[in-house]
Amino acid sequence: MDERELIARVQDGDPAAERQLYDQHVDRVYRLAYRMTGDDDLARDYTQETFIRAFDRLDQFRGDAALGTWIRTIAGTVVLNGLRKVKRFRQREVELDEGLERGGTRRQAEPDLKEKLERAIDDLPTKYRMVFVMHDVEGYTHEEIGSALGMPVGTSKAQLFRARARLREALSEFAGEWAS
Amino acid sequence: MTDERFDEFLREQLRSYREPTEVPRDDMWDAITEHRSHRRTHRRPTWRYWGIGIAAALVIGVGIGRLSVPHGADMVAAGAAAEETTDSPVAFRLTTAEHLQQVEVFLTGFRADARAGRSAVAGARDLLATTRVLLDAPVQGDPTLQPLLEDIELVLAQIASYEGRPRSDELDLIEESMEQRSVLFRLHSTVDVQPVGMPIQGVL
Repeated sequence: MDERELIARVQDGDPAAERQLYDQHVDRVYRLAYRMTGDDDLARDYTQETFIRAFDRLDQFRGDAALGTWIRTIAGTVVLNGLRKVKRFRQREVELDEGLERGGTRRQAEPDLKEKLERAIDDLPTKYRMVFVMHDVEGYTHEEIGSALGMPVGTSKAQLFRARARLREALSEFAGEWAS
Repeated sequence: MTDERFDEFLREQLRSYREPTEVPRDDMWDAITEHRSHRRTHRRPTWRYWGIGIAAALVIGVGIGRLSVPHGADMVAAGAAAEETTDSPVAFRLTTAEHLQQVEVFLTGFRADARAGRSAVAGARDLLATTRVLLDAPVQGDPTLQPLLEDIELVLAQIASYEGRPRSDELDLIEESMEQRSVLFRLHSTVDVQPVGMPIQGVL
């Protein structure tokens, strides 16, 4: 069944077609959500919300781009908005924690390269991180990222460049690992 | 050290970056179908219809005012009366929208924070108080709102009832309540989401 036929059947309310559409695209959506959040619950929430919206708005899909690109556009919106909300919440929690810990000493083990890299990626501005994860981790092209995040290809390239530069700076203590 | 070397090094390190072990396809599909069928059976007016209703009330109010009140200084009083009839629902709608957004943010972060050992009791109590005020408000109007607020009340009451941090079995119960009632889904559907970039093909 080609994409047009599948969409038509979904619009007619065929449950098997709905499941087929979901199966074709769910892995990439979930993987992106999981890699952006690092949390299974949030990744599930965002994936589910992406498909609920996609099914709700399928009649608005004009077919200018591939269906997968359109679904990933929704996923991009859902994940970015979700992360902003989580970030606001976390920020409040961090401020509270800092208030409680003030005056005490806090010992932390020196993180290894993997931890440090993960933390550095998490510390990137959300949009840089999204572009970086989509391109360098998930293998999206800049054209796909541009469509999914609603930005010109040049912006996607520039944000990837900046994200890598920040990571390189954050990992400078491990420079021997790649300089040798 | 060159850019190419760093990029290569990064690629190597990223091979195992947050690799999900398994995509929970069936679980998520069940949740999606449950949510959609719940919505189909409980489809009721949304905020859009509220907006239309409020606009219609305004037009009718102003129209009646123009027909029944003499011109001149009395027109000011007619305008004020029309405003008064619509003020309460608008204020209620805005307050509720803001509150639902706060609850959504709170519940989104709650599960991860509870697992990390951070107490959310104080936050839950604050939100619970507002939820109860909204439930008691005389101007609700939207029939989808009452059951959503009631479910939110239940979940927040569960969270607020623990003196310290909920134990893992208590946490399971709270999560179960949230999932059974699709609280987060319904909140996501109700709370407006700000667009991220350019709208594409009616996505946003």
